[in-house]
Amino acid sequence: MHMTDSLLSPAVGAAIAAVSVAAIGYSVAKVKKDDLCEKKVPVMGVMGAFVFAAQMIDVTIPGTGSSGHIGGGILLAAMLGSFPAALSLSAVLIIQCLFFADGGLLALGCNIFNLAVVPCLIVYPLLFKPFVKKGTAQTPGRITAASIIAVVAGLQLGAFGVVVQTHLSGITALPFASFVLLMLPIHFVIGLGEGVVTAAVLCFVYRTRPEIMDSALTGTPIKAGVPLRNTIILFATITLVAGSVLSMFASSYPDGLEWSVERVSGHTEFETENPFIEAVESIHERIAVMPDYDFRDAGEDGSAAGTSAAGVVGVAVTFALAGLSAFVISRVKRKIS
Amino acid sequence: MKNATKNLYALEQLSAGGTCVHRLHPLVKLMAAAVFIVTVISFDRYAPMRLVPYIFYPMILTALSETPHSMLLKRVFIALPFCLFAGVTNVMFDTAAAFTVGGVAVSYGAVSLVTILIRMYLCVMAVLILVSVTPLSEITGEMRRLRVPNIFIITLEMTYRYIGVLLNEAYSMITAYRLRGGNKKGVDIRDMGSFAGQLLIRSLDRAERVYNAMACRGYALQNTLRRSRRLTPGDIIFLAVVLILCATFRLVDVNRLIAAGIFGGV
Repeated sequence: MHMTDSLLSPAVGAAIAAVSVAAIGYSVAKVKKDDLCEKKVPVMGVMGAFVFAAQMIDVTIPGTGSSGHIGGGILLAAMLGSFPAALSLSAVLIIQCLFFADGGLLALGCNIFNLAVVPCLIVYPLLFKPFVKKGTAQTPGRITAASIIAVVAGLQLGAFGVVVQTHLSGITALPFASFVLLMLPIHFVIGLGEGVVTAAVLCFVYRTRPEIMDSALTGTPIKAGVPLRNTIILFATITLVAGSVLSMFASSYPDGLEWSVERVSGHTEFETENPFIEAVESIHERIAVMPDYDFRDAGEDGSAAGTSAAGVVGVAVTFALAGLSAFVISRVKRKIS
Repeated sequence: MKNATKNLYALEQLSAGGTCVHRLHPLVKLMAAAVFIVTVISFDRYAPMRLVPYIFYPMILTALSETPHSMLLKRVFIALPFCLFAGVTNVMFDTAAAFTVGGVAVSYGAVSLVTILIRMYLCVMAVLILVSVTPLSEITGEMRRLRVPNIFIITLEMTYRYIGVLLNEAYSMITAYRLRGGNKKGVDIRDMGSFAGQLLIRSLDRAERVYNAMACRGYALQNTLRRSRRLTPGDIIFLAVVLILCATFRLVDVNRLIAAGIFGGV
C-alpha cells in the first residue's frame, strides 16, 4: 500500500511530508523525555529490522488458500509504545524507499504518514489501548479483539490516505468515490488477515513475557505533557499552512486544487484578485516558452496529429541521444581502465 | 528471503565504488535527486513527451558510475503494480480522444498511463542511483549535519544494519519449520504466534545485548562522530548542471525544438 512518487504532485507530497516531519520531531521529543532513552534506541533499531524480517514470513490463512503477512504498525506500537514505534517504522519506510524502490523520495512523507503516524500515533492510543488497559490481566480474547480492530482501522485509514493523496495530486482520472470503493474493501480483507496474525503474535508474547507489553502501555503515556487534542490541532494547522502555501507555488497545473475548488464553488476557475498570485502567474507565462503545450492542444477532433508526429520524432531523437551518450561514456571509461 | 538480503547489500556493494559520481558530495547527490524528482512529477498527466529528455539523467549517471542499468531496472518493476492499477483505471475512465494515429484514436487515459509509467521509471531510477553511488552512512552523516535528531538517525542505521542478521535468523527458522513440517509453503496461522513471537523475543533480547555491548564501548547519544566534508568545485558544477538541465527541460520543450530543427519549424 505504498504511495509512489509517480502518482503524487509536488504540492501534496510536500504538504504531507511537512506533517510527517512534525510527527517525527514530536515523537523524538517524546522519546527523549524517557529516562531509558539511550537504551531504547538500539531496541527501536533492532525492532525495525524485525518488522522487515517478519514481513518476509508468509502465513497460510486456512480456508482461503491465500497467504498474508504481518503488518508492522500496531505490533511495534504494542511492543515499544507509540512514539518509539512511529520512529522505528519511519526508519523501516526510509530503507524500503531507498533500497527496495517501495514508495519514493517525495512520497516518503505520505508513506510515513499513512503507515507509521496513523497506526502508531492515532489508532494505537485511541483503539488499542482502551482494550488492553494497564493493570488488568489481559485475556487472549481481549488482545485479539484489540489487534484486529486496531489493524483493520489503521489499514483503512492508511488506504483512505492513499486515495486522498492520489486524488488531490490529480494524476488519476478515477472518480473519488469509486477509488474509495475499490481500495477500502480490499484493505479491509487484508486488514483482517494482518489483524489475526498480529493477534497471534501478541498473545504469544503476552503469555511468555507479559512485562514487554505492560511497559509499552506505560512507557510513553500520551497524556503526559501535551494532550492529544493539541497534537491533532498542530498537525491539522501544519497541513493547512503547508498545503496552501505550496499549492500557491504549484499553481501552474492546479489539478488537485481545481478539483477542490470545483467541489466547493461549482466552478473550475475563479477570478483572483491577489496581486502576488497574479505576479507569479505572469512570470510563469513569460518564462515558459510553450506555456501550455501538451496533448490538450490537439483540439477536439485530433487535428494536430501532424504536430504530434513531429513531436514523436523529437522524442525518438532525444531518446537516441541519451542512449548514445550513455554508450559513449561506458566505452570511454572501459578504454581508460 | 535470501534474495531480499542479497538485493539489499548488492546496492551497498555498488555504493563502495570509486568513480567520479561516487566521489561527489553526498548532500549534492541527495539534492540533485530531489530536484530531479520534483521537476519530473511537476508535469501534469497529459505530457508524456515532455518527460522524455529527463532520461538523460539515469542514462548518464549509470554510465558514469558504472552501475549496471539492468540491475536497477529490475527493481523499478516493484513499483509497477500500483502504478499500473492507477494508470489502467485512467484508461477506463478518461476515454476522450486525445489525438489519432492512422485513424486510431488514442484516449487521454492512454496518454496518462504512459505518463505514469515514465514518471515511475524516472523517479525510481533517481532513488536507486542515489543509493547505488552513496553509502547509507554518508547519507546519514549528512542528515546529522542537517541537525536531524540523533535518536532517529541511530534507529535508521541500526535497522539497516540488523535487517541482514534478522532475515538470516528468520530464514533458518523457516528452513527448520519446513524440514519438520512436510515442506509446507507458508507458516500455519496456528504456529505463527509462536513462530514470529519467538523471533520477536529473540530480537528484543538481541537488542539488549547489542545495547550492553555498545554501552561497554562508550556509546552515548551525544557522542556520535560528526564528519564534515567540503564542497569541491566538481560538486558545485555537477549540481549546477543538474539544476540548469532540469529547469531547461521543464520550461523549454526540447522535443519540439529538435523536431523544429529537423523539419524546419513546426
